[in-house]
Amino acid sequence: MAHDHAHNAPPSETAMRVKALETLLTEKGLLDPAAIDALVETYETKIGPRNGAKVVARAWTDPDYKQRLLEDGSAAIAELGFSGVQGEDMVVVENTDDVHNLVTCTLCSCYPWPTLGLPPIWFKSAPYRARSVIDPRGVLEEFGVELSDDIEVRVWDSSAELRYLVLPQRPAGTEGLSEDELAALVTRDSMIGTALVEAPAS
Amino acid sequence: MPTLTPEMVPGLVAGGASCRMDVDVAPKFKVGDTVKARDINPVSHTRLPRYIRGRTGRIARDHGVFAFPDTSAASGTHCDPQHVYSVRFEGSELWGNHANANACVYIDLFDDYLDSA
Repeated sequence: MAHDHAHNAPPSETAMRVKALETLLTEKGLLDPAAIDALVETYETKIGPRNGAKVVARAWTDPDYKQRLLEDGSAAIAELGFSGVQGEDMVVVENTDDVHNLVTCTLCSCYPWPTLGLPPIWFKSAPYRARSVIDPRGVLEEFGVELSDDIEVRVWDSSAELRYLVLPQRPAGTEGLSEDELAALVTRDSMIGTALVEAPAS
Repeated sequence: MPTLTPEMVPGLVAGGASCRMDVDVAPKFKVGDTVKARDINPVSHTRLPRYIRGRTGRIARDHGVFAFPDTSAASGTHCDPQHVYSVRFEGSELWGNHANANACVYIDLFDDYLDSA
């Protein structure tokens, strides 16, 4: 069944509250409702994880860029034009053969919007936020990522002003791919750390 | 306050509002220092999560100077600038015998959350 609600049901409490807020802000002259549409359209069509994927693919193909990215994430990401709200101060952490990184925000839902878009629901959920710091390996297993104990798991709790992007490992067998083809392999979850980047099926 | 219009959205989204402050404040700690998070329990805003309070970690990186959220939240303006560090806490320090093998937490903490250990 594609629907789980009756079409004649009243709107949810949240939807009604949002509508009330929008109406109040509009009546007080603080908001042109078209600005809301512009914001929604921005995060639906312009800003999302394809931006972060371009950063990753550039780092995989340009060693100088990768070095700049790891030293000063904000400046290197700005080179590709992906700066702005909730990405003002960026840190990029690199997965290697010895280290796997996982990003969380235990206090709320801090997330790098310009490179990854708006956070998925599970990233904001209490279970992910609580368990990611105490049992990262268990959380990773539920995402299908099994790591041996000799790989150090670093959890980044982005509860202050810095926002984190994981630079995943480039999969083997992708030597012949272009930067654009590599970017197409990079998933949102691989840049949060809850997935690895898979080589394309040959 | 001006009305938010669609024309303002691209500039707002691209510009953002960093909490970094361009002021010269001496850091209390340096990379490699061992620090203990203070056991503070304010009823007001803080970015020091409960699971870190009273725990000992090591300064991994100095991010520079930022407004202090605990006071900025109350005043409504960026204030009380101080250094923010990435601090590494070993899993066993946070979770005892329930810690995962070979796992740690890095968290960004302000000078006012930390004492030397």
